[in-house]
Amino acid sequence: MTRKFRKALSKAATVSIIVIIIIAVAAGIAYYYYQSAAPAPTATTTTSTISSPSPTQTTTSTAATKPKISVIKIGLIEPLTGSHAVFGQEAKEAAELAVDVINNELGGIKSLGGAKLQLIVQDSGESPDNARLAAEKLISQYHPNIVIGAYISRLTAAVAEVTERSHTILFMDGLVDDLTQHGWKYVFRAAPKASAHGKSAVDFIIDMAKKKGIKVKTAIVLNEDSVFGTYVGNGATLELVKNGIKVLDHITYPYDISDVSSIINKIKSEKPDVVISVPYFHDAVLIAKAIKSQGIHLMFIAGAGGCGYTDPDSIKAAGDAVLYYTQTYSFNPFRPTKWDQKLVSMFKEKYGKIPTEAGGIILYTMFTIYAGLEKAGQMYPNDPLNPDNLRNVFLSLDLTDNNSIAGQLYPTGHIKFLPNGDNEYAGTAILQVQRINGTLQPVLVWPEPQPGVQPVFPRPDWTPSG
Amino acid sequence: MMDPILVTNNVLDGLLMGLLYSLVALGLALIFGVMDIINFAHGDFVMIGAYTAWLLAMAFWVDPSVTAIITVPLFFIIGIGIYKLVIEPVLGAEPLIQIAVTVGLGYVFQNIALALWHAEPKSFPAPWLNFSISAGGITLSVAKLIAGGISIISLYLIHYMLTKTKFGLAVRATSANREVAPLMGINVKKVYAITFGIGTALTALGAALYMSWGQTNPYLGQSFSLLSWVIVAMGGLGGVIGVLYSGLIVGVLEALGSTFITPSARLAVVYLAFFLLLWFRPRGLFARR
Repeated sequence: MTRKFRKALSKAATVSIIVIIIIAVAAGIAYYYYQSAAPAPTATTTTSTISSPSPTQTTTSTAATKPKISVIKIGLIEPLTGSHAVFGQEAKEAAELAVDVINNELGGIKSLGGAKLQLIVQDSGESPDNARLAAEKLISQYHPNIVIGAYISRLTAAVAEVTERSHTILFMDGLVDDLTQHGWKYVFRAAPKASAHGKSAVDFIIDMAKKKGIKVKTAIVLNEDSVFGTYVGNGATLELVKNGIKVLDHITYPYDISDVSSIINKIKSEKPDVVISVPYFHDAVLIAKAIKSQGIHLMFIAGAGGCGYTDPDSIKAAGDAVLYYTQTYSFNPFRPTKWDQKLVSMFKEKYGKIPTEAGGIILYTMFTIYAGLEKAGQMYPNDPLNPDNLRNVFLSLDLTDNNSIAGQLYPTGHIKFLPNGDNEYAGTAILQVQRINGTLQPVLVWPEPQPGVQPVFPRPDWTPSG
Repeated sequence: MMDPILVTNNVLDGLLMGLLYSLVALGLALIFGVMDIINFAHGDFVMIGAYTAWLLAMAFWVDPSVTAIITVPLFFIIGIGIYKLVIEPVLGAEPLIQIAVTVGLGYVFQNIALALWHAEPKSFPAPWLNFSISAGGITLSVAKLIAGGISIISLYLIHYMLTKTKFGLAVRATSANREVAPLMGINVKKVYAITFGIGTALTALGAALYMSWGQTNPYLGQSFSLLSWVIVAMGGLGGVIGVLYSGLIVGVLEALGSTFITPSARLAVVYLAFFLLLWFRPRGLFARR
């Protein structure tokens, strides 16, 4: 009797759970379609009250007047947890600083009546599925006018699929080349693409070798095996081959590798003149320490790809193992411009370190958006936040040191978007770890060294025999 | 043609890493063998151990391996505490609940680490042992040689404890039959608590040794967890010897995969070998009948 009762109960419970799941899924789908069907969250000039107004704006009832915009919502989707959190967290910090400066110091968007930026942050997690869900949640619940994300390129691609579908402008801080080759209409990327990092690392070596009268004959390219690392590594390889440098080996490895002995043994065995290394973060510390431990004395070790050897945290972790290592960056924290120096020192004061790749990209991206919004208020006073209008505005921007904060923050001092969303004047800066007054510090060495600094090339401990 | 010196060097490095893997995996094997619980947070104990070693190394400016003097007894006590608070309540519960608890524990550790130390890698910047010795073209890291030596000694001590001491007899009896052991006068819960403490202490020892040349971040535990499970399954609960050999096999397979294919393929090689092994010996290499 009891057994029968339990069996029946269990059956009933199972059926109930299945029914609940079906209802929940159906409700979710219905809600999604309801949200997708809602009009784009832009200011309108219709004469009647909008049926689904964006929560970011209030609209007046007459067609002739400008919409009153009090808040512009900027969505930020970054990996705040998981193994890429180091980047997402810094991006969030930079975005918060930029919003604070724009709202409080610059008085908001003046052409839009002093409208303030509101930052809405979502965690993309580690997987594209999570990133997609975060983007869908962001767009359906908060109706952001512009979205920024998601540093890791596969996450950025997942976010872009969602923002593109909802006609939301996405500023990408993921660098993989093909992100701007999908034919997406509403994407922009101020930062230099991945392959440009690999190319810059090689160009720096060639430039330095030429100045010092040294011949670079052989190289090993070493990259973590994500899509990003592969693009940077391939960019470096192409440039090496183009310049007649023999690539002895192209080694790939997972970025979460816990032991790099086999890689370092290979470098020691093949004795290249230079190593172009594309690390993530943790692997950079391991590689630098292992090279030091093994006593390998190469002509040069150049990092490419925006993070790894010269970040303040890497220097803290690896100590003098990273001395004289260089790294390409999409951001130059030492540019001698007013706003670069100002924001870097503000960042340092607030977070205790200088902004690196992830934070730097966000800083100039935020101020590019700021410049675009100011222009949108002038170009489209009646419908400034319409995504098509915003797209036109961003395509029309030509930001330089002289006319914008974003220009002053950008390594080349120039941002102008191509139709595919890439920056026509994209470029990197190269930092090197040097000992300044007894302290290991990253300093700018290329394309123009910062005042009082000279690039160290080749490595002082280089022995031509390897 | 691959340079034979390079291959030899990589295999030797693989053996040294294998010894460290064995040390860490032994903790998992002990806990699983005695308590029949798969500790999914095992690798995260390594991660927390690595942070503790780093903190102590930075505070006292000593090589992280030296901090094992403090971290091992500390983690033994922490292990017993976690056993009492988290594990004991779910002993005998459905396996799903036990899995949820240990997986949850791992996430708690990861998030604590993320909150306290952020996601940046942490490493002792001036380890005393970060140099190598060379002979005949072979170069080996002194830190890894010491780690390998300490791992072997520790494995032997655990083996001795299990086979020659009264407590070891109680552990083996509990492992053989949890129902009968109490009837023989064995305090099973005490055995469980001490075993969990020892398993946790071993992760702290492995972490302190690893930090002589390695780095830690909130997700360090994942790779140690994955490898520990493979080593324990491959060993087939064959005691310390099974774990030792399996760890060495895993270390060498990793090295060979890195050398002959690519470092990206090293885990694939390990898992492929593991699947093949399961095909021929489904209960592992050293399974007890």
